[in-house]
Formats: sequence, C-alpha cells, structure tokens
Amino acid sequence: MAKVSPWITAAEEKPVEMSSRIRLARNVRDIPFPHMLKGGEMDEVTARLKTVLSGFGEVDLNVMKFEDKALLVEKHLISPLFTKRGQLSYISGDESVSIMVNEEDHIRIQVMGADESLDELYERASELDDKLEAEINYAFDDKYGFLTACPTNVGTGLRASVMLHLPGLSLGSRIQRIASNLNRFGFTLRGIYGEGSVPLGHIYQLSNQLTLGRTEEDIISSLNELKMRIMEEENEMRSIMNDDHLLKAKDSIYRSYGTLKYAHTISLKEAANHLSNVKLGMDLNLLPENTIRFQEQIQLIQPAFIKMRLNTMEKEYGSLERAVDEERATLLRELIGGTS
Amino acid sequence: MICESCQENEATVHITTGSGLNKTERYLCEVCANKSFSNQFANFPDDSFNIHQLLQSLSAQQPAGAGMKQKRHCDTCGSTIENILKNGKFGCADCYGTFSGKSNEIITRVQLYQTEHVGKVPAKSSAYLKVKKEIESLREKLAELVERQEFEEAAVVRDQIKSLEAGDGNGEG
Repeated sequence: MAKVSPWITAAEEKPVEMSSRIRLARNVRDIPFPHMLKGGEMDEVTARLKTVLSGFGEVDLNVMKFEDKALLVEKHLISPLFTKRGQLSYISGDESVSIMVNEEDHIRIQVMGADESLDELYERASELDDKLEAEINYAFDDKYGFLTACPTNVGTGLRASVMLHLPGLSLGSRIQRIASNLNRFGFTLRGIYGEGSVPLGHIYQLSNQLTLGRTEEDIISSLNELKMRIMEEENEMRSIMNDDHLLKAKDSIYRSYGTLKYAHTISLKEAANHLSNVKLGMDLNLLPENTIRFQEQIQLIQPAFIKMRLNTMEKEYGSLERAVDEERATLLRELIGGTS
Repeated sequence: MICESCQENEATVHITTGSGLNKTERYLCEVCANKSFSNQFANFPDDSFNIHQLLQSLSAQQPAGAGMKQKRHCDTCGSTIENILKNGKFGCADCYGTFSGKSNEIITRVQLYQTEHVGKVPAKSSAYLKVKKEIESLREKLAELVERQEFEEAAVVRDQIKSLEAGDGNGEG
C-alpha cells in the first residue's frame, strides 16, 4: 500500500502553515533545452548526472505504470508534465529531495520540508546545486544569470513556495483581494489542488513569480514576510469565527467529523473539505489534537493513493470511480476511528 | 455524429484517454475537444505561468529594431524567433544571445521590467565567463596590433589567447 513521504510523517502539524518548497531550474551549457531534444540526445544529460547523484534513488519513468507515476505527482515529487516526457528522476530516501532530469529544463532540483525554514531548504538545494556544478557546465550568463527554457524562470531559476491552509480566508472574498495584491509584487497565491474559486481542502500555495533582478535571499525574505501577513489575516478570521460565530463553526466542524467517521462513499472534494474543517476544529481546540494528520491524509485521499489500495483488476470497467469513492470512505473510517 | 458534449456541432475529434480499465472514449467537436484537453492533472499545481498570451502579443508586433538585421535562426538549435514565441520557450542557451533584442524584450515583459541577474553566481561558470571575456578583449588587442604591424607583440598576445583557450575548452579554467 502506498505511503506518504517520510518527511511528512515525521513533521509536526501546525496551524495554517503546512510545508515549504524550494525549486531550482538549471541547464547544461552545450545541449539544447529538453523540448528540442530527441530520445538519444536526452540520454546525454542523464549520463552526465549519474555519477553525481549516485547516493539518490533512481526512478526510471520509462518502465513505470501510469498509476505509479500518478502517485509520484500526488506526492509532489514529479510534475504532471514530467509524467509525459520525463525519463529519469532522483529521489532521496526521505523523499524530501527530488531531481527531475529533462523536464522543462535539464535539471530541476526540488527540496521540500515542513519543519525547516525556506532559508534552510534553500541552503540544502544550493549545496546540491554546487555539487552538480562541479561536474557539469551550467548554462549561465553574466546579464541574465541561469538560462532556462522558459523566460519565467531565468535569473535565479528559483521558485520558493509555502503551502498554507486558509479555511478562514476562504470564507469571504478576502482571499481574492489578497491574491491580486500579491500579483503586483510578483508573488502568487493560488489553490494547490484545483482551479476553482475555493480550492480543495482550502489549501493554497504562495510562491514568487519573478526570478530575475533579486537575490535568492531577497526573494525568500519577501516571501516569508508575505506569508506572515497572510497567516495573521487567517488567524484574525479564525478569532472572529471563534468569538462571533462559534455555534456555526462548531456545527460545521462536528458535522464534518461525523461524516468522515461514518460515510460509506465520499468524493475527493467532499473528503478534502471535511478534513479541512476537522483540522480547523483541532486548531480551534474544539477537537482533540490528534484527531487527524491533515497533511498526510489530504494526500492519502488522492485518487492514485486510493487506487493503490484497490486491486483495480477486480473492478468492473466503468465502476472504478465508484470503487475509489467507496474505498476512500473506508480509509477515512479506519483513520478516524469510526466503524470499519 | 453529433458532439457528445455540446450536442450541437458535428463530432470531428475522437479522444481516448487512459488505458485498460480507465479507458474512456469520447466523440467531440473541435471546440469541446479543446476544452477537455485540459491536463489529466488539472488538479495539480504547475510551476509554469501562462506566458503564451504575453508572448503572442509580442509576436504580433514588428520585430525589435525593425530595419536592423536580426538573425533568422539560432545556429546551435535551429530555433526561429517565431518558434520561441509560439512555444514560450527558448530552444537553447545560445538563443538568448542570438535573438538578443527580442529576448531582452521578452524577459523585460515576463519579469516585470527586471533585466539583470543579481543572485547566485556559480563558481565554475563565472570563472568560465571571465576567461571568455579575457579572450575577447585579447582578440581585440591582437587585431589592433596586427593593424599597427606590431607583430612581435601580436605574437605574444596570440600565445596568451591560445593558452587561455586550451585551459578553457571544458570550462575548467
């Protein structure tokens, strides 16, 4: 059965802030960018990396089933784009570090963590970056910095992001206002799952949009500052909820708790919404601290994770979606301690 | 056959998604097909921002510095500026220099008027760039010396270039 990444299991669950991620985009100097390469030419990039990354687990996407790739996407270890075109990725033992070879750029270094600050994660990514640079000649320009396939990554090649659980801000239209303000500073706030007005589980990702003209430290410190501002606003909304609308909040939190405990079939969207409510209930001290592990369970309810629990071959064609919803409810009953 | 989705237009596109038990087949008109082609993982975050629209407006404009001769394609990867604007991606690292006018325009626009990297400078690459610059300036010097017919000194400079180039070949300089 599929498990969530060890770094998530080991992490402490906090209110609002879930996890952070650093991504660096790099390219090899004398090889055209991946989308211009044919099969054989791609191997040249991988061959150069192999020796440097010998300590990592090697994942060969060429021999993987779609379901297994989908699982890696749900764990955020590879990108959706990578399932189509990628060949090789390297993943560390605790799954906090992953390197995609020949995604949009030759090299994408990614470091994720929940207990470490963005600065610490960047430190780790940058060290790995230095190790790679010792073996590879990077495409680097005096004026534009690290050259990338897409001009949105040129310069630092850095995308720093923080995952935030914002059920309070999702209630009103406040979140849209915050998001459009952030855009003007070159940052974005968007739902991590789904593009709808209210994203799955009220989980948002705050990240820098601009990669040029600012140092890595500068980008990260601005992001941290904005994160604190958003967290303050979220907590403000939660106090209002607690002080002025407690009955309504309690009702929706306990209804969600009941549903997760006793439902026999549940969609991803509904499950995510209830998990979000229960997490809010824990944060507001309405439910015991260990009622759920939000970050873990929001991953466990994703389709590829659920399909791993099912023996899909036994299910009839056409009923898979139903089977997944049923299995999702079974899993949640097991996890939250209702009847099984 | 009528489109399954809008029930109006003629279905001209046959889409098969997934395989085995997950396989579904649909018959759609072109408009609905385009809509449904949204990624399998539409629910997942993607690092890329939608820059196609931005770049499209650039391609509609006159080429940068009209009148000036811009290179038609990149010698290294064969990309044309039209390809780059269409894909929203440069073909290779050399494209940035090959289409310098246009790439500056693209970057300015995408990066909200930022045009200079001020972040991390990788140790080896910066050494490589330093040597490259040194060679360039020595070449200029060499040309001047030859012009002034100062051949003895020119020979010294030529040897300097040679030794720099020898050490530089793999970027290890």
